Amino acid sequence: MKKQLRNTWMGYRRPDGQAGARNSLLLLSGTLYANSVIERLGHMIANTTVITHPLGRCQVMPDLRLTRKTLVGTALNPNCGGVIVIDHHRETGCTAEEMAHDIAKSGKPVEAINIRESGGAIEATARGLRIALDMLRKISTQNREEVPVSELIYGLNCGTSDTTSGISSNKAVGYCSDMIIDQGGRSILAETTEMLGGEQVLAARAATPQIADRIWEITKRMEQRALASGEDIRGSQPTGDNILGGLSSIEEKSLGAIQKSGTKPIVGVVDYAEPIGREPGLYIMDTPGHGGESITGIAAAGSQILTFSTGGGHTINHPLMVTIRLTGNKTSFEKMRDTVELDVSDIFQGMSIEEAGMRVYNEVIETASGKLTKCEILRENNAFAIHRIGISI
Amino acid sequence: MFEKQTKGVIVAIEAFVIDPNDNVATLFIHQGARGSSIKVQIDGKDAEIQLRDNVPFAHKFAIRPIRKGEQVIKYGYSIGTATEDIEPGQHVHIHNTESNRGRGDLAGSSPSSGAGK
Repeated sequence: MKKQLRNTWMGYRRPDGQAGARNSLLLLSGTLYANSVIERLGHMIANTTVITHPLGRCQVMPDLRLTRKTLVGTALNPNCGGVIVIDHHRETGCTAEEMAHDIAKSGKPVEAINIRESGGAIEATARGLRIALDMLRKISTQNREEVPVSELIYGLNCGTSDTTSGISSNKAVGYCSDMIIDQGGRSILAETTEMLGGEQVLAARAATPQIADRIWEITKRMEQRALASGEDIRGSQPTGDNILGGLSSIEEKSLGAIQKSGTKPIVGVVDYAEPIGREPGLYIMDTPGHGGESITGIAAAGSQILTFSTGGGHTINHPLMVTIRLTGNKTSFEKMRDTVELDVSDIFQGMSIEEAGMRVYNEVIETASGKLTKCEILRENNAFAIHRIGISI
Repeated sequence: MFEKQTKGVIVAIEAFVIDPNDNVATLFIHQGARGSSIKVQIDGKDAEIQLRDNVPFAHKFAIRPIRKGEQVIKYGYSIGTATEDIEPGQHVHIHNTESNRGRGDLAGSSPSSGAGK
């Protein structure tokens, strides 16, 4: 008998109205020189999510603004119930206080710690412990409640793709995305590089001529970036593992990658780490093909859950946005069984895309409602990577 | 092996042609040995293509002759240009297909408007 379609999930309601799939206390580095204090606190305190990075200092201003936007957007993600942000001294435009000020507008608890003003790394750690003690006591009282699927922002991504991706796992993800959008939800497709060669397919699905123009604009700009390097894009795209998996060109990779986007109209194109609109439907975020940078941008736009489709297998896991890995390559699933959740290779034995898509959908609903992913259990924390648009100076 | 429902009968398909305009198929048996015949559907008809090369799992082979300079078509769109004449059954990959996009190595190269069909 056909299982009844679940049209709700169990989430944590936030003061700003959003619903989260997790209730993490986020320990966030404002600058790289706070990373050790953040990591130390992460080891000492239960139920925390640690985010560190190598940025926040000596960046050209547009690049620093993008870093701050990404860090604040990540803290605003509804999977985060409270935030402690730490910096070491003073960085114009990107201090812990400034970020905490932006995060506080959401109504979620947030505290800033400055290492120097705390009296050094040991005192900052002690302060962090005391704050976390109270904050976790407070946020852990919150219970999950029933939330409609329309409140999901579903992230779409793929990596270590091979030729199975475009025919099996990406198609299944696209089907799931269509199901979520049919119920009033939103999905985000990213990885602009992996649209080169498939622009015409996406532009044809744009809800307005302006959105179609934006799709051509972002892909052209991405291609110009590749051309300006003076190098053959084939050195980096497709990647070595893509080529081993049978993908011969970026065009072939793209035409397979965009299968993740399903069939629904594209209702908006946003910049990196930018919040998407309220209208249900598919959105495109302009990001590089780099998996970590791409999913970090999607998480900063508020996506609670992302499926990562892979041909060769993958360990990618965003620390805050729940990341489900799936593959249509049986051999890869067997090799990477400990970090890949779903195997849809039965598609090559006759399973329909509809059935595979339903499997993905059910996993998304269950996981958004609290089922742990393999990478969460193993504490894989490897994909927080902020995209850069300028150099260090 | 890929099974496809055709007129109520399950037929075994060993390679997959995505779009009617495609001139390549993607192999879905573990290793396609040179000389072996691969079952594939072309234009809705069952066909067999004899492999002229060893083709690894999930790699492509030509299902029609592709002349040097012609577009290699998959998903109904160009995935690159053939750099040599390719006969049906030959392995199609980076040794005989070249991307048309993002080629900063080519002097005077400019973004194409997206090579279509």
